[in-house]
Amino acid sequence: MPTLTIDNRRIEVPEGTKVIEAAEALGIMIPRFCYHRALGSVGACRVCAVKIVDGTRKGVQMSCMLDVEEGMVVSTDDPEAVAMRRHVIEWLMLHHPHDCPVCDEGGHCLLQDMTVSGGHGLRRYLGNKRTHLDQYLGPRIQHEMNRCIQCYRCVRYYREFSGYRDLGVTGIGNRVYFGREREGTLENPFSGNLIDICPTGVFTDKPARYFGRRWDLQRGPSVCIHCSLGCSVTVGARYREVARVEARYAKAVNGHFICDRGRWGFPYTNEASRPRAARVDGEATTVGEACAAARNRLLHVAETAGSEAVACLGSERAGLETLKAVAGICRANGWADPLFWLERRARENVAAAVSLLGDDLVLSLRELEAADCVLVFGADPLGEAPMAALALRQARRQGAPVFVFDPRPVELPLDFHHVPLAIEDLPECIRSLVGAAGDRETARGADPTVRSFTDQLAEPSVPPPPEAVAALRTSRRPAVVCGTDVTDAAAIGLAADFAALMKAQGRRAGLFYLMPGANGFGAALAGTEAASLEELLPRIEGGEIRALVAVEADPLGLYPDRGRIEAAMRKLDLLVVLDYLDTDSAAAADVFLPSTTVFETGGTWINQEGRIQIVRGAHRGGIPVSQTGGGGHPPRVFMEEVPGGQAAASGQTLTRLSPAEVKGASEWVRLPPDTDKQSGTRAVLPDPSALRFAPERTALSGAAGDEAMLTVIAVDRTFGTEVLSSRSPWLSAEETAPTVWMHPEEAGRVPLSDGDLLEIDAGGGSLVLPVKIVENMARRTLVIPRHRDAAWQRLGATRLRIERDCIRKAQPVGENAPVKESPPR
Amino acid sequence: MNPDERHYRKLKPVPPQRFRTISEIGEALNALGQGFVTTFRHLFRKPITEEYPEYKRTLPERSRARIVLTRDPDGNERCVACYLCSAACPVSCISMQSAEDDNGRRYARWFRINFGRCIYCGLCEEACPTSAIQLTPQFEHVKREILSMVYEKEDLLVDHSGKDKTYNFYRWAGIRTGDRDKGEHEREDKPVNVRSNMP
Repeated sequence: MPTLTIDNRRIEVPEGTKVIEAAEALGIMIPRFCYHRALGSVGACRVCAVKIVDGTRKGVQMSCMLDVEEGMVVSTDDPEAVAMRRHVIEWLMLHHPHDCPVCDEGGHCLLQDMTVSGGHGLRRYLGNKRTHLDQYLGPRIQHEMNRCIQCYRCVRYYREFSGYRDLGVTGIGNRVYFGREREGTLENPFSGNLIDICPTGVFTDKPARYFGRRWDLQRGPSVCIHCSLGCSVTVGARYREVARVEARYAKAVNGHFICDRGRWGFPYTNEASRPRAARVDGEATTVGEACAAARNRLLHVAETAGSEAVACLGSERAGLETLKAVAGICRANGWADPLFWLERRARENVAAAVSLLGDDLVLSLRELEAADCVLVFGADPLGEAPMAALALRQARRQGAPVFVFDPRPVELPLDFHHVPLAIEDLPECIRSLVGAAGDRETARGADPTVRSFTDQLAEPSVPPPPEAVAALRTSRRPAVVCGTDVTDAAAIGLAADFAALMKAQGRRAGLFYLMPGANGFGAALAGTEAASLEELLPRIEGGEIRALVAVEADPLGLYPDRGRIEAAMRKLDLLVVLDYLDTDSAAAADVFLPSTTVFETGGTWINQEGRIQIVRGAHRGGIPVSQTGGGGHPPRVFMEEVPGGQAAASGQTLTRLSPAEVKGASEWVRLPPDTDKQSGTRAVLPDPSALRFAPERTALSGAAGDEAMLTVIAVDRTFGTEVLSSRSPWLSAEETAPTVWMHPEEAGRVPLSDGDLLEIDAGGGSLVLPVKIVENMARRTLVIPRHRDAAWQRLGATRLRIERDCIRKAQPVGENAPVKESPPR
Repeated sequence: MNPDERHYRKLKPVPPQRFRTISEIGEALNALGQGFVTTFRHLFRKPITEEYPEYKRTLPERSRARIVLTRDPDGNERCVACYLCSAACPVSCISMQSAEDDNGRRYARWFRINFGRCIYCGLCEEACPTSAIQLTPQFEHVKREILSMVYEKEDLLVDHSGKDKTYNFYRWAGIRTGDRDKGEHEREDKPVNVRSNMP
């Protein structure tokens, strides 16, 4: 731990720290363009010059390239260093265009700040400027190469950090050019971070182009609710319109970056079609009257059919306050148990994952990057939680081998071993790894439960992949990543057992679950005994349940059996919907009440590792000025009321329409006083050790291997399947097309070739989709993205087994055959 | 004695009591006489008062009154809606929304100045990087209806260049617009051919 002196202040830092980092630890921000904490040093811009007064290398040096030494004396404000930095900025500005007034970066531009603070106010160079032609980089990123200062941050991020190859650098000297080989949309689903890391305006946010300066935005810290990871973001809104979402640094979660789904998934909050007014029987009315109407009708149902005839459904995208209100209103009125899930499997999976995740095993996204061997079971990181894929890449960059055991054609921006196995074989595969990997004897000695578990392990029918076994044997920090979307409770439990076993062997093993929805963890905590809509549906069909209150949930649009849920909803006397989206359920509601988004009222979300994150709204909301003013100037009258400002948080509205008083609605989340304000705190989890190594998980499940059966899974993809972000017009071009993926062997048996239409007769009707034949997926499996145009709601379940003769080749009818007549949203 | 009082005494020594009355009478008479002499002298001079509504004097070009949005020498709107004037405005009376037109030029979709709030300080003009917003000597725009003091873009836009007759921002900006491509602006080289390493 060398001690050095920077500007007469002493600091002790670890060996290998750069001078610029040591200065930052003291609060001295040395100017920088090319250096970035996540990307490291490259020494390209020369603006971090400092004077080394005492040390091995004296004189003006680049602080980002210089390791600290014992006894080093550094001066950042030495006249020589200041002059050097001033000249460097002037050189960088030689060819910089005179376009700050029309540049979107202006106002939060690092180059602008440095130029002004360096005192370079007037151009002395009067020669001609070098110019570059720009490229079209897709609908989300604007390219303006004239502004480039050759810091190389973009390509270092794009190629090294995130692992995509279609943006590069060419040329020498001042002709250096950053762009693609030819024009086209950037392939990287993390490309939006180019906007954040570019120190000047080469890459700017195209959807927010010319919307406003950063100083005019109402900005606030928020959390991304487009997947279960809960990345930190900063929201910028203006004139009642959310304009931009940027990455916010969170040490333990997303670091500096976010994915494009999180960055451009917000337009649902600004949509012109967003329901802003309350409706009773299709007639617009005030929120107060609609609440009264809902309350009276609910009372009527409870009086005539008993209080058990009313059910309330929340969802995993709602905040914890809303879920709490759902549980509270059910308890206060004696209604049926609160529902938080549509499908029983989802409820059981998340409940299993939450009950098995303990403080001893849980990994944060940051800790996952530090793993030296990663095993991914039944998860498609890029599809379910994109930032997890970026974390896996960081682990891989540091040498960790990554093994993915999943039936889907998984793609990741790193080289990994994909074991495409049928989803039913997954528990067996984990079991074989538990049996084969590591030294079982050391684990046995540790704990009698572990001993009995490993003793009872059945002989595996699926041999473990030898590379994985070899990598596991030497691994000191193995990480187990397990999905809860397509897997079952057995695989989820075994993943926890596996991690706990490796922990018992004395390694720093960790467990990382991916969960559905932003608040799946919260939904599992809010109602441990709560049933799912699937389990309640027979009671609706039997006429026992007469009224349903759906809170930020869309049973009609998202329940995987469209025909059945439509019939069930028709049987209801009353459907009350509280939402901020114009869902199918909202359209069918007898009483509709508008609610607010995370950008307006904030809320509490618990991410998939149990991290509680509380955010406030960034703006008040209401119909955007761009819509009320018809594109022109806003109206010239003064109003007391905000247009469309009647909506309130779902939880509040829910307590208003409850016949009985909901007690303790404000008491839910209490965080310990030592909470890290920046990245939240972990929920205090019950001790899960009793649940681990359950003997029933040692036995064979025995479902796999039946050649007559096929497994159909409806899956999440990076773009186009998540409820909120699939409404974004800027991501629609990148959405996974509604297709069905098949292994060539399976396609050959029908027979089918790429692009043919396949008809699937499943539990909930038949659907016709074009076939995409891919090699790197499991046999006996059909994979369908949960795209709004894929009509996956006719499958009957998001994971089901069908007979092989349920699929056949379909003939194209008309020109647009694959899309069904009424695509459910 | 407090320090302030001491200071005051030091500055103005009080004369002895007996001389005070006589000298004060002398001073008063002198001032009175001087005043009468000045008034008397002005009876024979040409009046310098300007009868305002009847006579309207030409004010200096730099005087600060009604704000306008000027056009560049080519007749296009100068304002690029960069928000600098609204940021500089100490009373926040300027608001706008920028947008991009078909030619790639950034412009103000709407632009509003609330003259009911404006203090005519001229900071907006000082901040304007394109010489678009300018203060004119025209100070007579008082209205009885407060909302009619809110001027929209069509009320502000004039068809001349104001005080700056020459500057055209888009000739220098390096931004590709309808009439100028990359490399065609002032003091610009032709775009680099990135497919070649020849200098």
